[in-house]
Amino acid sequence: MELDYLATVLLSSLSSASILLIATIGLAVVFGLMGVINLAHGEFLMIGAYAALTATQYGIPFVIAIPIAIAVTMTIGAVVEVLIIRRLYGRLFDTMLATWGLSIAFYQLAVLIFGTVTPGIGMPQFNLRIGNYSLAGYPLLMIAVAAVATVFVYVLMTRTVYGMKARAAIQMPEMARAIGIESARVNTLTFAIGCGLAGFAGAVLLPIVPATPSMGFAFVIKAFLTVVVAGPVTLTGSALTAVGLGGGASVTASFLTSVAGDAFFFLITAFLLWLYPLGITAKWRTKM
Amino acid sequence: MFRIVNATGGYGKTVIIRDVSIAVDKAEIVALLGRNGVGKSTLMRFAMALIPALSGHVEIDGRNAPEAPAKRAKAGVGYVPQGRYVFPRMTVTENIGVAAETNGHSGRLAVETALREFPMLRPKADDLAGGLSGGQQQVLALARALATKPKILLLDEPTEGVQPSIIDEMAGILKRINRERGVAILVAEQDLDFCLSIATRAYVMEKGSVQLETDRESLRTDKKLQQQLLGV
Repeated sequence: MELDYLATVLLSSLSSASILLIATIGLAVVFGLMGVINLAHGEFLMIGAYAALTATQYGIPFVIAIPIAIAVTMTIGAVVEVLIIRRLYGRLFDTMLATWGLSIAFYQLAVLIFGTVTPGIGMPQFNLRIGNYSLAGYPLLMIAVAAVATVFVYVLMTRTVYGMKARAAIQMPEMARAIGIESARVNTLTFAIGCGLAGFAGAVLLPIVPATPSMGFAFVIKAFLTVVVAGPVTLTGSALTAVGLGGGASVTASFLTSVAGDAFFFLITAFLLWLYPLGITAKWRTKM
Repeated sequence: MFRIVNATGGYGKTVIIRDVSIAVDKAEIVALLGRNGVGKSTLMRFAMALIPALSGHVEIDGRNAPEAPAKRAKAGVGYVPQGRYVFPRMTVTENIGVAAETNGHSGRLAVETALREFPMLRPKADDLAGGLSGGQQQVLALARALATKPKILLLDEPTEGVQPSIIDEMAGILKRINRERGVAILVAEQDLDFCLSIATRAYVMEKGSVQLETDRESLRTDKKLQQQLLGV
């Protein structure tokens, strides 16, 4: 086996892991930080993809379509929090039921509005040559995007006043109010940010994963497993888990079959959860 | 300066406090005494607007206090709940910093002040608050409330589950804060000695109402009253 082939496999696996991480970050905020099991999370990703797709169809450049998708999903996220989620904090099963219903509604809306088949937008064409192999550049760019997005959320949640308020408000809403934090408003914003991150994922991954009404479903299972394996130190844990599980699965898939890759993902997940029932970061004494 | 007027409230339809009126003057330390379950904590929660008022209201400097807890905190009410309730997955520094920043003060300065005032928190500054001992959490909850720069501090059973050496330290700190910054304090307690060491005046509650208002001297000398009301 040549070195250039190995480098190709490693790079494309890291890129798959990054794609998983991009799709997971929003969930790390909504589920990891806020403890809300949002079963409609994948649909927010889908909404982001369609928002970006629609924007490009109106002739808006792709780079501007991404912030539009974020704005759209954040707005819908805020409305969903005010109408549904805020009544259900701490009620795990009720939240699951409500957001499951929501995901069905969003899915059907997408089918009605866009149909089940939609055109992709074509990948920005640039390639990377390694020895005899050529890799598409855009998926590789996702490695950098995932890194930047992770650092952005980390800094937002740990280094800013908003981030401290967000964690205080969700950890102890009543006590947070008693020191002057408008907990309800802060929680709406945090949920909206989580949805906006999902929208960002849908939009930025659009050239790789075309928008379809059911696209959220493909992401949400692995994303949820990643966050669950990550445990209480959500962001760092998710990054580690995404690289380990997603990357490992992708390496396995390149040498064997894609089925073997998925089998690797789910087997290692089960093994890790058996070893660390509360997530791999359960004993870490750090905050994000 | 701080007045609770005809407070009636409870949880759902259950009324726990009835028609309670309490006043705390500027820079005064007042104790709220009574056995378990007489409504001290409920009155504190009423004062912080954490339970809805069935009737009655709260005044700060002669004006009606805002109805929302967050706004009431910003109006100058600091609250240290029974059971501490520090933010567990935030560091000691963040617990103090977020309280200061939320009220428009510098978080960095507030943390410096707090670590100077409470040296026992210094080695724990970067630890998660959830990992501190009970006494340390109590001190942190106090430091957090002070970081909001309150005019009045509501302390709900600050000595509960705290070792005696820290209780003494806390009494000293409260007296100093009261003297140096002019912060008024209303402290709900069962620990009579602690109250006698810091408060100049006391209300005694029984069955959801104020039964008696008294000063330190009569409370200290009236053994019969102590026996009857507190079982000490």
